Amino acid sequence: MSQTVSPSIASPQTQQVLDVELRQVSKYFGGEAAIQDIDLKIREGEFFSILGPSGCGKTTTLRLIAGFEQPSAGMVLIQGRDMSRTPAHRRSVNTVFQSYALFNHMTVKDNIAFGLRVKRMGRSQREQRVADALQLVKMGSFAHRYPQQLSGGQKQRVALARALVNRPAVMLLDEPLGALDLKLRKQMQVELTNLHQQLGITFVMVTHDQEEALSLSNRIAVMKDGDIEQIGTPSEIYDYPQTPFVADFIGETNLLQGEVEFADSQMLRLLTPEGTTVLVNRSEANLPDLKTAVVSVRPENIRLSQEAPLNEGNCYSGYVKHIMYLGTHLHCVVQLQTGERLTVMQPNRSEQSLTPETPVYVSWLPSDCLALAA
Amino acid sequence: MPRKRSLYSTQFRQFGPTRRRFLQGSAAAIAGVTLSNCRQNIAEGPATDETTDAAPTDGGGAEPGVLHVYTWADYTNDALVEAFKEQTGIDVIVDVYDSNETMLAKMQAGGGDAYSIIYPSDYMVQQMIELGLLTSIDKDRIEGLDNIFDKWQDPAYDPGNTFSIPYAWGTTGLLYNKEVVSGTPTDWEYLWENQGDLSRRITLLDDVRETMGAVLSSLGYSYNSTDPAEIEAAFDRLIELKPAIASFMSFGFEDALFGGDLNMVMAYSVDAIAATLEDERMEYFVPESGSSVWTDTMIIPVGAPNVDAAYQWINFNLDPAISQMSTEMLFNATPNKVAFDNLSDELISNTDLFPPQEVLDRCEGIAPVGEATALYDEFWTRVTSA
Amino acid sequence: MTASPTSKRWRFSQLELGQQFKRLLGALTLLAPPGLWLILFLVLPTLLILDISLVPGLRPGESGDGYGLGNYSRVFNPFDAAFDSVYLQVIGRSLYYATGTTLACLLMGFPVAYWLALMAPRRWRNFLVVAFILPLWTSSLLRAYAWISILRPSGLLNSFIGWLSGGLPGVQLPEQAWLYTSAAVLIGLTYNFLPYMVLILYASLEKLDISLLEAAADLGATPRQTFWQVTVPQTLPGIAAGCLLVFITSMGDFVVPTLLGGASSMTISRLIYNQFLGITRNWGLGSALSMVMILAVSLMIALLLKYGDRDSVKEA
Repeated sequence: MSQTVSPSIASPQTQQVLDVELRQVSKYFGGEAAIQDIDLKIREGEFFSILGPSGCGKTTTLRLIAGFEQPSAGMVLIQGRDMSRTPAHRRSVNTVFQSYALFNHMTVKDNIAFGLRVKRMGRSQREQRVADALQLVKMGSFAHRYPQQLSGGQKQRVALARALVNRPAVMLLDEPLGALDLKLRKQMQVELTNLHQQLGITFVMVTHDQEEALSLSNRIAVMKDGDIEQIGTPSEIYDYPQTPFVADFIGETNLLQGEVEFADSQMLRLLTPEGTTVLVNRSEANLPDLKTAVVSVRPENIRLSQEAPLNEGNCYSGYVKHIMYLGTHLHCVVQLQTGERLTVMQPNRSEQSLTPETPVYVSWLPSDCLALAA
Repeated sequence: MPRKRSLYSTQFRQFGPTRRRFLQGSAAAIAGVTLSNCRQNIAEGPATDETTDAAPTDGGGAEPGVLHVYTWADYTNDALVEAFKEQTGIDVIVDVYDSNETMLAKMQAGGGDAYSIIYPSDYMVQQMIELGLLTSIDKDRIEGLDNIFDKWQDPAYDPGNTFSIPYAWGTTGLLYNKEVVSGTPTDWEYLWENQGDLSRRITLLDDVRETMGAVLSSLGYSYNSTDPAEIEAAFDRLIELKPAIASFMSFGFEDALFGGDLNMVMAYSVDAIAATLEDERMEYFVPESGSSVWTDTMIIPVGAPNVDAAYQWINFNLDPAISQMSTEMLFNATPNKVAFDNLSDELISNTDLFPPQEVLDRCEGIAPVGEATALYDEFWTRVTSA
Repeated sequence: MTASPTSKRWRFSQLELGQQFKRLLGALTLLAPPGLWLILFLVLPTLLILDISLVPGLRPGESGDGYGLGNYSRVFNPFDAAFDSVYLQVIGRSLYYATGTTLACLLMGFPVAYWLALMAPRRWRNFLVVAFILPLWTSSLLRAYAWISILRPSGLLNSFIGWLSGGLPGVQLPEQAWLYTSAAVLIGLTYNFLPYMVLILYASLEKLDISLLEAAADLGATPRQTFWQVTVPQTLPGIAAGCLLVFITSMGDFVVPTLLGGASSMTISRLIYNQFLGITRNWGLGSALSMVMILAVSLMIALLLKYGDRDSVKEA
């Protein structure tokens, strides 16, 4: 591929090689901002996920990287080169579309060969690469089928092979598993991870499925309303969400909002409008002095007992409002006497006999919850 | 004779030549070609509106008090229809056709019982008599036939007017713009002699018998030749003229002629007279070597509904006053002696409308050519294809 | 008492038969209206035409000289004494007009339809489509007359050419005879049928999955490659349908050749018209020519259907 080489713009902040970088990128559609002032650095070889609810701008971000959209402001760099104005067909990235977008007038083989053919690769080399790609996605015996003769999972593999065969610097995956049923999705997740490890290519995946993002990615960017809320590894995102939105969106959590009554370097005490007092360990120095804060406590971190617990943490009494049986766990909603409701995930122990209206105590350690800026 | 007249000519004179009106008129006229049959309700008033809506083409004429007439465009008009209604109380619904052949095809396809009155030309009358499509006219119910000139009392196409009553007559000739045509053309021969100057500036009638007849006539043969050698000679001569012929058209040439895109067109006298009155640069003549003179008639087809009304319509049109009105308004020469005598001197002396006898003596009526018809058609296909 | 298994099965199969019969009856009832329609308005008239075409020189009101291939032989058999090459010439001209019109409509219609379907502002799209097919609401006669006023020697086109010549020194564009030429017929026919082509292509392009175009670009295809390797194959059924419609209708049109074609514009449809409504009234020959036209059109449809289906045939 020949193209005018734009000057390499190195990022001074980091020594790592960046495959994709977005600098202060905004995109407007008819005056409406789809994304606004986004900064994103995706490292070479990384499996990076962009996670968020629908309409958060994650697909637009992907399309900006692919080149289907041009940024209204800011800069898109791929392998250090400014590609903001480079059309899609001259970018060394390939996309796996949510709908697969397979050419139904071509066989599986021709679909996969398409990218090589339009680049005028020689026949023998092309055939070899296509055969390898088919092998890689275990679709060797389907080479002469047409897309409409394939199942969803098979189409997914062909779409993957069609992108991979070009050996792109970056693979973009737009909700790649969204159309598959649960079992197939689990299976494909494993295969995606394997492929990623095998090929060492940077993967950028857009998904609204937090579980998928958590299980597959090296790092995740959580987006909301055209903005990035947090970027981090799955455990950073899950264990140390930086905003109430992230805490709520990733996994399940209980959010308690209130005024900061007391704060020192170790502790924070919060008083909710209902009059509940919550103690929080001030683990990270990320919180400035706050007037109000939100406490996030995961359901699985809350202990449920019928006798008053002994620990010195947060402890409240209430009764069981709902109870849902999940096999290994019980999913309870507990109504506190002060009025709040908390969701509790309790290991399923047979000695307990929880039914609605059963009076219970809930408790957690100050170190098991997080205080976030409201 | 096929008088594929556009409605345009009379309107033109009354309102002046606006392009829009020209388009409307011409389009309406051609709609006749395309659809073979364009229903045109000339009479106005609520009563007729009603019947128009309800009148299907077949059997529609069975309603009492309604007369269905099938005729050429511009062969009757509102004034005549109104006058007839006033006199008899009968509403007239007019359908128009653009060629005798189209009309015949419709009659043979079983449309005969839809109309009480039809206006075939001379040779077509003969053909329709042979095909048994006409009812003989009951002379006891006809008034004023004796007003017709002698030469139409016993015409060759229908001896004794057994099946038809002459309605109007006219000629075929050349219409030209005297400002752009050099000299004074007098014969068909002019076309060949000035072929260079006239290149793509002439039109001939889109009618095989008229156009082939004209060429035959220019060669000194009969308009109605059945001799294959003569017909072929005429074909060759027509091919010779081909580069000068822009198109074969029977109507709608006025705009191009007035605008200077055409210099000379072959036309029927009715259209030509309208054009000469509209634009004084226009001149019409009947070629010296002879042309066609035609008579259009009124007939009652076999199976006609409302025969009483049909006779009333014939008698109405035989009325000298009415016939005079027709000539004055529509420029079809009247065969009615009394009507002719009552015409203004200006009209009588209009030689385009009433050519002198020595000119008419050189003209022929188009007559059926029997087996030679196929030959004419084959040559015509070749001419229009070459 | 228990029924024997055999009798049970028998009863079952009887029941099944009854159901199948009912299903068949249901299908027939559903098929009956279109089937009847087809027989009444398509099969019977065609057979009638075929019947008439097999009587040489049949005229209305005559019984004819018995069956024979004389009418066809006259058109196709050069060894027949009655053979006249002019008929083949006329058929050739008609095919030329129809093919030329189809190609011109496709070449002009595709970019327009593409623009309408994929590039025009979405909220203007319906309006633009309607604006484009607006000419269809006027009479084709009127449109032909409009072209006469443009193409005639003193018409708009030559005035424009003259103006160009005057306005651009050194450029001398010849004013030409446009009206009454083959070019005029092609222009008139193309103008008449372009909206149909655009409409059909638009419907086809509008259904085109944009993500396929993006996928092609993503895989490195230039816009040109994307167009030829994705857009065109994906819209092939629409292209075939549009071409078919324009070809058939332009072959059958006789208003435009009659008004714009001038002295040498005989087409098969005009010839057929003349055989039925002209002086010879040779219904036999007219029917034979009609059959030729019906066959030519059917052949086109068959070829295009086969060609259009080749992909699915290949995959089976």
